[in-house]
Amino acid sequence: MLTAPVLNYSLLAPILVVLGGALLGVLVEAFLSKAVRPAAQLAIALGTLVLSFAQIIRVRNLTSLTAAVNSVTIDGAGVFIQGTILVLAFIALLLIADQDNFAAQASAVPGSEEERSAIATGKIQTEIFPLTLFAVAGMMLFPLASDLITLFVALEVLSLPLYLMAGLSRRRRLLSQEAALKYFLLGAYSSAFFLFGAAFLYGFSGSLSLNGIAAAITGGQGNDVFLLIGIAFLSVGLLFKVGAVPFHSWTPDVYQGAPTPITAFMAACTKVAAFGATLRIFYVGLSAAQWEWKPIITVVAILTMAVGAIAAIAQRDVKRALAFSSIAHAGFLLTGVLALNKSGLSASLFYIVAYGFTTIGAFGIVTLVRDSAGEVTDLNRWIGLGKKSPFISGMFVLFLLSFAGIPLTSGFIGKFSLFNAAYETGNITVVVVGVLASAVAAFFYLRIVVMLFFTEPTNDSVTVVIPSIMTRFAITFCALVTVVLGVYPSLLLNTTQTFANFLK
Amino acid sequence: MLNLALHVGATKTPEAVLFWFLAPLAVIAALGMLMAKKAVHSALLLAWVMITLAIFYIAQDALFLGIVQIVVYTGAVMMLFLFILMLVGVDSSDSLVENIKGQRPASIAAAIGMGGLMVTLIGRASLGRSAVGLVAANTNGNVQGLAEQLFTKYVWAFEVISALLITAALGAMVLAHSQKVRSRTGQRDLSIARFRGDSLASAAGLPSSGVFARHNAVDVPALLPDGSAAPTSISSVLKARGDMIESAIFELQPKEEEEN
Repeated sequence: MLTAPVLNYSLLAPILVVLGGALLGVLVEAFLSKAVRPAAQLAIALGTLVLSFAQIIRVRNLTSLTAAVNSVTIDGAGVFIQGTILVLAFIALLLIADQDNFAAQASAVPGSEEERSAIATGKIQTEIFPLTLFAVAGMMLFPLASDLITLFVALEVLSLPLYLMAGLSRRRRLLSQEAALKYFLLGAYSSAFFLFGAAFLYGFSGSLSLNGIAAAITGGQGNDVFLLIGIAFLSVGLLFKVGAVPFHSWTPDVYQGAPTPITAFMAACTKVAAFGATLRIFYVGLSAAQWEWKPIITVVAILTMAVGAIAAIAQRDVKRALAFSSIAHAGFLLTGVLALNKSGLSASLFYIVAYGFTTIGAFGIVTLVRDSAGEVTDLNRWIGLGKKSPFISGMFVLFLLSFAGIPLTSGFIGKFSLFNAAYETGNITVVVVGVLASAVAAFFYLRIVVMLFFTEPTNDSVTVVIPSIMTRFAITFCALVTVVLGVYPSLLLNTTQTFANFLK
Repeated sequence: MLNLALHVGATKTPEAVLFWFLAPLAVIAALGMLMAKKAVHSALLLAWVMITLAIFYIAQDALFLGIVQIVVYTGAVMMLFLFILMLVGVDSSDSLVENIKGQRPASIAAAIGMGGLMVTLIGRASLGRSAVGLVAANTNGNVQGLAEQLFTKYVWAFEVISALLITAALGAMVLAHSQKVRSRTGQRDLSIARFRGDSLASAAGLPSSGVFARHNAVDVPALLPDGSAAPTSISSVLKARGDMIESAIFELQPKEEEEN
């Protein structure tokens, strides 16, 4: 006879609220008139995120618990990552709500009469909002999931809406659709790797839960070949999602093709969620087998930092350049995975927050630089922009300095604490490569600064549009966080230290 | 139920025979799937691979999984595959032009290397312990055992999958469904336009193409009583495609004698 499982829905409330908001959004699509849909969807989406954050505040003191028959672990790091995702998603939603960036009607063939009439009648695809919420729900489950099946389901829930939204750009639609298809196919491929790895880990340990796998590794009864194949393939799936070399090739194409607000959302929130899950899997599930996977992940981290920093220099497109910079940051974050101790986890959490806000701010500014045909992403046409609009360009420079890790920005504290944690564990190679890669990357960022401020403008058609209130708030908030965390890092450092624990 | 693998851990002769008979066929079919030039052949070989896997599942006492494999994959998913092939055209074959130079030899080498690595690794792997738990898992029946797992231990994942299905449905709507920008003109509107318009010329309906002329084809315009061509008799689609035949040659020339 079956006994009914106890799910502890009150602990799952943050995720359930987001899912509920997404369902409400779908109903709004079906039943509300076109005129009120955009406002209603935005209100529902923002309200949902606020409500969910309130649930997280309620849950945070009940940490170190499991819910949903041990398939979800509520612990300090998990709750912290969930909260980070919610705040970042809130800011990204403000950018997304500036609907001018999305296709008027995604089903219309690019360049067709139908598309022109859809634009002329002012149609918009408000389905973006429920799709975003579904992605957020998946992202919130991914870092908390503590068995491989729940991990896989969460991975798919977060990915599928992103594949879709990447193809909904308003301008250069063929590029956007190509990006979506590429992301979808490669994502499906990496999911297959993830599943294959999960199957081998199950074969090794006879258990799908991270704790069970950890116990099997410590017990040492299973077959090591199974373990190694399992770790290798599971890592491929995860490293694809975080965009680490050599699984990074989708990143520049997708970041470039996707609508810029979606790129901001994807670059910040997906990376947070994917690193949350990666940290949990390696800290909780595989830490006992660290001598098997550490060398490989070290090589991957070094390659990722180097390739990201060096390839960024050669880019002529600002979105592609930021994509390569995000690859380099994935490499820096992998050093946090390698540290495998409390200070490494705490530094990773800090870095994730700092990187997330800086990224959304930078992409937010990319949405503002336009000419008559839409966004201008060609870096050569950004030359001299600092003379035309010093304030926006100054903010962009601030974000770039934070990416580069210059003192008094959040990026510096993030990098410093990460490399410090890696140094403590004696991982000198990674630290040296990390510092060198930072120097190379700093050269690239400073080159953009020179282009913006110290070169005479040549092209007059490029302007910075006056941002809407929402975009203005989003960018200003990101800039504030970047500065405040750079000047008073202890505000967040203390928090990350309290929250930096995984329940094993 | 087939009890081929009742004593787990040791493979019984019938199962071994089954395996060594079907496994090579499955591998050959899988290779053929990659190499077949026509998509239909690939699809059918893929169906064979899936059926073989289903037989293996059933032989290993995973009856439900085997049946689901046949019903869902070989049945539903493969049929979808074939439907799409029918839409694209059965005769269409893949373009075999290499976009990136040297990609094919490189990828074949990489695939062989990867396959060889996996074969040597898995060939050396044994479970390290006797397989246990199959009998316990199937005590109440295979389906019941699965149901118990699905509705107790993995019920949360099962619930979350609903979000995935909704996303898929919503995505299909976004990408494929287009709402009409203008409302459709009904019969009533057409009628009003016909009789209350500027002229009553089209009140009796538009002339049919071709039939009043010396040709009887849809791309030849009709001739009006005065002998001139009537462009309205041609479908607007043909006109837009530029498939309308120049009507001048079909116009009735007034006889020269009459002019005298």
